[in-house]
Amino acid sequence: MKKTILSWVLVLATGLLFAQKKTTTSAIVSFDATTSLDKLPKADNKTVIAALDTKTGKLAFESTVKSFTFSNPKIQEHFNAPGWMDSEKFPTANFAGTITNLKDVKFNKDGVYKVTVKGDLTIHGVTKPVETTGTVTVNGTSIKTESNFSIKLEDYGVNGPAIGAGKVSKEPLITVTAEF
Amino acid sequence: MFKHYIFVIHSKAQAVLQMLTTKINKPYKKWLIAIFVLLLAGGAVIWWLFNLKYEDTADVKVDYTVNAIEFIKEFKKDMAAANKKYSEKIIVVNGTVSAIEAADTTANIKMIDSSSAYIIFAFQQQHLNEAKQLKPGDKVSIKGSCSNGAFSSILETEYITFKRCAVNK
Repeated sequence: MKKTILSWVLVLATGLLFAQKKTTTSAIVSFDATTSLDKLPKADNKTVIAALDTKTGKLAFESTVKSFTFSNPKIQEHFNAPGWMDSEKFPTANFAGTITNLKDVKFNKDGVYKVTVKGDLTIHGVTKPVETTGTVTVNGTSIKTESNFSIKLEDYGVNGPAIGAGKVSKEPLITVTAEF
Repeated sequence: MFKHYIFVIHSKAQAVLQMLTTKINKPYKKWLIAIFVLLLAGGAVIWWLFNLKYEDTADVKVDYTVNAIEFIKEFKKDMAAANKKYSEKIIVVNGTVSAIEAADTTANIKMIDSSSAYIIFAFQQQHLNEAKQLKPGDKVSIKGSCSNGAFSSILETEYITFKRCAVNK
């Protein structure tokens, strides 16, 4: 009898654990590094892995660098080359952080909630702390997170010559969207 | 349209060249013509590079044709070797649709093995509707550019991503 109760408790606990951790393998990360001289350096990756723990506010993203899709094959080639993202050496870019004002988000009530996210962003093998704002949209069982922020490429050791020439923005705009 | 542009550029170039060379001494003419031709060629190359576009994946030559489950196995066995072999290659993957993750602008198709390792296909814009029509359980053949395989520390499983995909017909 005791064993049966224990089994049920374990099943319920596991169920709760899974219910609070939401994941998707189709989050989208876009970046726009266009300038007045060049409208080509922008791309998106639609196969990003994301996780959100609604209990703790932990938020994480994993993105394979080679999955960023450009319209121009030459730009894509440069993006992955050693002088830029060096995707052979640094195949993934990651973020791990936390929603700092989780108490303001009601996951059981439809609405758009403003959030602040703090965490570590790893690009090109360099990890830097970042803090940004975003929104969490609750619509029934669907939860959508969105954020826009800029990064300084030189902070991550990305210093291609086209940046100096003004063809690639020094501070591209990153947009992250995940629907759980 | 393209021929028209070339004709206009050629005519203008000839006029400029004639204007430049009529008033200049003969020994310099050849050098001027050479520099002008080089500048023109350089401009044409830059114009070509800026206007390059990916072809429709449906029309691109296939490098490998694989079975989804065997393909995942190959990555699980030796990720580095599989990435070296398949990364940025055009591959036709035959398998069964396990899940469709669709949003406003996306419709990713997934093929998952028994250990939760998976292949995910992001479709080329002109082929998005083909992906949206698929259902879990459908036998399908998908052609796309293999980005690479990796291990996810979030999901604790191997995964392989594809971009610019189309249903292989």
